[in-house]
Amino acid sequence: MSETRSYKAQKLVERLQVKVNRQIMLSLEACVHCGLCTDQCHYVLSNPGDVTYAPAYKADRIRKLFKAHIDWTGKTLPWWVGAKSVYTDQELEDLKDTVFGKCTNCRRCSLNCPMGVDMAVFNRMARGLLVHVGVMPEGVAVVAKDQWEIGNQMGVLKEDYLETLTWMEEELQSEYNDHSIRIPIDKMDADVVYSINPREAKYDPRTIAEAAAIFHFAGENWTMPSQGWDMTNFGLFNGDDELGGAVGGRLYDAVERLRGKKLVISECGHGFRSTRCEAPNWGKRDVAFPMESAVITMLGYIKQGRIQVDKSKNSEPVTYHDSCNNARSCGMTEEPRELLNLVCSDFREMHPNRAENFCCTGGGGAMSMTEYAPRRLKSARIKADQLKATGAKIVVTSCHNCVDGLFDLIKHYKLDMQVKLLVNLVASALVVPERPSRKMRPLEGYKILVIDDEPDIRVYLGKIFKDQGCLVTEAPDANQGMRAIKADRPDLVTLDLILPYMTGEKLYWELRKDQKTADLPVVIVSGYAAVDSPRIDFFGFLAEKRLPQPNGFLEKPVDPEKLIETVRAVLLEKA
Amino acid sequence: MTATATATTPIERKVHQTVVRLMQGDLTALEVDAFVHYAKENLELGSGYGTAIQSRGGGAVKKEVEKIGGIRMGEAVMTTAGGMAAKHIIHACGPKFQESDTEGKLRDCMNSALQIARENGLKSVAFPPMGAGFYGVPLALSAQVMIDAIRSAAAAGTPPEVIIICTVDGRDFLAFKNQVGAL
Repeated sequence: MSETRSYKAQKLVERLQVKVNRQIMLSLEACVHCGLCTDQCHYVLSNPGDVTYAPAYKADRIRKLFKAHIDWTGKTLPWWVGAKSVYTDQELEDLKDTVFGKCTNCRRCSLNCPMGVDMAVFNRMARGLLVHVGVMPEGVAVVAKDQWEIGNQMGVLKEDYLETLTWMEEELQSEYNDHSIRIPIDKMDADVVYSINPREAKYDPRTIAEAAAIFHFAGENWTMPSQGWDMTNFGLFNGDDELGGAVGGRLYDAVERLRGKKLVISECGHGFRSTRCEAPNWGKRDVAFPMESAVITMLGYIKQGRIQVDKSKNSEPVTYHDSCNNARSCGMTEEPRELLNLVCSDFREMHPNRAENFCCTGGGGAMSMTEYAPRRLKSARIKADQLKATGAKIVVTSCHNCVDGLFDLIKHYKLDMQVKLLVNLVASALVVPERPSRKMRPLEGYKILVIDDEPDIRVYLGKIFKDQGCLVTEAPDANQGMRAIKADRPDLVTLDLILPYMTGEKLYWELRKDQKTADLPVVIVSGYAAVDSPRIDFFGFLAEKRLPQPNGFLEKPVDPEKLIETVRAVLLEKA
Repeated sequence: MTATATATTPIERKVHQTVVRLMQGDLTALEVDAFVHYAKENLELGSGYGTAIQSRGGGAVKKEVEKIGGIRMGEAVMTTAGGMAAKHIIHACGPKFQESDTEGKLRDCMNSALQIARENGLKSVAFPPMGAGFYGVPLALSAQVMIDAIRSAAAAGTPPEVIIICTVDGRDFLAFKNQVGAL
């Protein structure tokens, strides 16, 4: 009997032949249907009697395809081994319902399979096959497209991201009454490049501020990239290896562009796993720098004495939820507990825990699939029971995705609990030193932009400012200088007048015309008075355009002491 | 594994009277006469570049595309760009998710976008890697069809003065680099 296959089904079958690798094949071959996986799944435990949630049943939806098209037993004796292909678009929709709507790829069944079947690895492959032919939940499409085209999975635009960082920096300075607290953007040669989940920029910016405070009091030399900052990766969820490789690559590019020494990944289970473990493979990319979870970084600061904490500041009973990707897939189970015990006075373990913990039910991209929300919340009963039994008032996790999943189920099951991240607790336990941990230099933390076309001069001026504790950025021409000012407003600009493309005086005019930059301190540092540049009459230009005088004017060669004195006077007067 | 080169210095070539520029950047932030939005038949802006259009451009573009209603595969239509840096948006409908005759449809879509630019006397137009990424058109095919269409338009003598191919990251920049470099 021959059946006609729909165009999409045919394309999916063709793709299957490409995507089945040795790891997937072993998992598809090894199942003996012993049923041990059944009681491991939160969907099954919350829906007793519904076989369609059983991992082995779900796996068989994919296994049938594999048998029909790849495995020799299925080609020879299809009726014997249950081989069955897909023919209609409706069958693709049914497969979508299983692989997206009935599994979060949490891998609890995988961990407990005596045959080593990794359900998540081929469930993810099946998701990728469907995405390849455009069959996916609407929310998955929305998020994936944002990440492909905007560069992060919540569609946060660059200007909004930078504005949020500036806002948080101002909040921190006000909170601690300390102008030297900075959120440095695109600082070159930093020891730590810090990447975040776009949820932080969009919905929870306090976590950025808290991390910044921790970096500051630890005396860390750190920065955040202005682009390529999203450490989440929807490629893990929708099975699209190409997206996974592209997203990881953008982050790796950012670290390399900034010549960062280490990438620290904010708290996010799938982001950590994707960035550190999976994306180099998806993108076929060598990554030369170390990558570390912020949990490890914060724990290191406390153990090394770089920050002081007082656990009595967090006295409410807390419990810890292990993110599936952190615990089961990356083995990070002890460090968060060690950290919690240092910053909380009443930590209560939930059971089961560590790699055996249950999913928050929001994993695998489930939070983006609103059509499955009732199903997700029903399956969350097992997690709700777990949380309730601890008697804790706060559930802590190290994953932004889990925060949303837990928040939803706590509301649904009316539990009297808050959800927090480790960074929240570490920040609230911080003991702020009465005197700064290192001797403050007069210009500590001020952002200076040096605009000069001569590399030697940029290095020279940059060194002088860096020795004073300034955060220095450079631009070789006026256009790049203007972009740098718009991207991350400095506290002061040193401006050469003789520049390629657009002169320094034109840039000065542009700055003074724009309300946003009219009061930006500018110190002219130029050799314009030299005999080889008689055409430039800067002060005549100012008079002609009725522009105010610059905040300072220094002729090259510049005396370092005079430079510092001038800049200090300008900045302190402004402060 | 191999390390991916990340150098994305813009490349510029002159083809007849047209300057073709390859750059990495933010398509929807460019100051051009128009940028091209890879559109669906119903012109719904959606997410991705659609997110940026709605956020930066305000509600005007959405109203315009709703009024137009829709276009057919391979066609293009132009709207204003609301409050964006660009003056206009060319919405061009191309193939998605492995659909049949991807190459032919992509060529029609490119030609339609260039024709709209020509008819409206636009001097500078920016394109994304058409169909690549979310919609799954292979990068190599996207690059080949786009460069062919641009070359043909330049030879015909009335294309925009500047055509920009604006990529999101180093990976797609590299896919276009050799083709643009060989122009």
